[in-house]
Amino acid sequence: MRDKAALFLYAATVLCVTLVHDIRLLAATLAVVLLFSGRSAPRLAARAGRAILVFNAAVSVSYAALALLRGTFQPEFLLRMNLRVFLLTYLAFLLVSRINPFRALSFSPALLHLFTLAYGQIIVFRRLFDDFRLALKSRSPARIGTRDLYRNAGAAGSFFLEKALHSSTEITEAMRSRGFFRDPR
Amino acid sequence: MHIPDGFISPKAYVPAYVAAAGLWSYALGRVRRNLDDEAIPRVAVLTAFSFVLMMILLPLPGGTSVHAAGIGVLAVLFGVWTAFLCVSLVLLLQALLFGSGGITSLPVNALAMGLIGGTAAAASYRLLRPLHERAALFAAGWLSINFAALVLAIALGVQPSLARSPDGTPLFFPFGLSVTIPAVMIPHAVIGVGEGALTVIVCGLFAKLAKERGS
Repeated sequence: MRDKAALFLYAATVLCVTLVHDIRLLAATLAVVLLFSGRSAPRLAARAGRAILVFNAAVSVSYAALALLRGTFQPEFLLRMNLRVFLLTYLAFLLVSRINPFRALSFSPALLHLFTLAYGQIIVFRRLFDDFRLALKSRSPARIGTRDLYRNAGAAGSFFLEKALHSSTEITEAMRSRGFFRDPR
Repeated sequence: MHIPDGFISPKAYVPAYVAAAGLWSYALGRVRRNLDDEAIPRVAVLTAFSFVLMMILLPLPGGTSVHAAGIGVLAVLFGVWTAFLCVSLVLLLQALLFGSGGITSLPVNALAMGLIGGTAAAASYRLLRPLHERAALFAAGWLSINFAALVLAIALGVQPSLARSPDGTPLFFPFGLSVTIPAVMIPHAVIGVGEGALTVIVCGLFAKLAKERGS
């Protein structure tokens, strides 16, 4: 219940943050959220900062350059945009660090099943993908050429495709044998 | 290639959520009708497949590399609706488990990448397949990325007209279509080459394996 409530609170806060355009109000919200995060605030702020750095820097610098050339530069726009993006990203990291997403999504059984099964398979696939990457690295003493990189990517892709289809049948059978699906009779 | 949180106004993302919710429900219904009990496990494992495809780095001319998207592979082999569901679920997983991507831009990204990209891939493959199989696969990969990029460029480019203060200052994203379309489309024309090549290789190898298993 706590996780579901946190998810809905997060969604409502995100909506409010995108409806508010007053810089002071956005800054005050950020201050409250930082205070609420307690000791994890510096770590989460650093993560959020890193996550938005490249895209926001590109947009901010391009905006500043173009607006200065056209004589339409508005520093409040830059402040508002960066403040809002940082706040939303920070809220996302705060949510991820505080809730159990599986419990939060339990309001929809179909979504919960999809989410749980997909996450389990992602863990397996990520490990296997690391094996693929390390295998290529360990067998290539020289710099790997473009053609070999594509061959490796293609081989990995077709391997995971085959594995996915096999796992799909296997999971369905496992679920069926445990009485997960309704008996059609 | 997706839009991060904070650049899309509620005037765009709220209607996008309404449209996407209807389409997600329709897509799940379609997949369930086709696959019955296997629908949920199939979509879940293909989501993991889509996730791992997005981890693959594709080298590009000039020494750079980009992450694959895998929309072409999913749409050609499993259809538009499965691709749409899988890409949407990957975006949700990224937002809720890893805090990346963003919840406000999720429906716009899902519609652009999964639905529009997937439709472009499946339609071009169906159209070109009778002429040349490999060219059709390459076109599916290239077009999936470029159509998705075009929709995302439009979604970003309309923000200054959709949301601005009384003095005309944009509230979310500062650049109009004249900037976003070339800025997004020119790099994606190159990125699409990698995606097209990956679609040809993965689908080709998979067909070969299926043939060997069948014989």
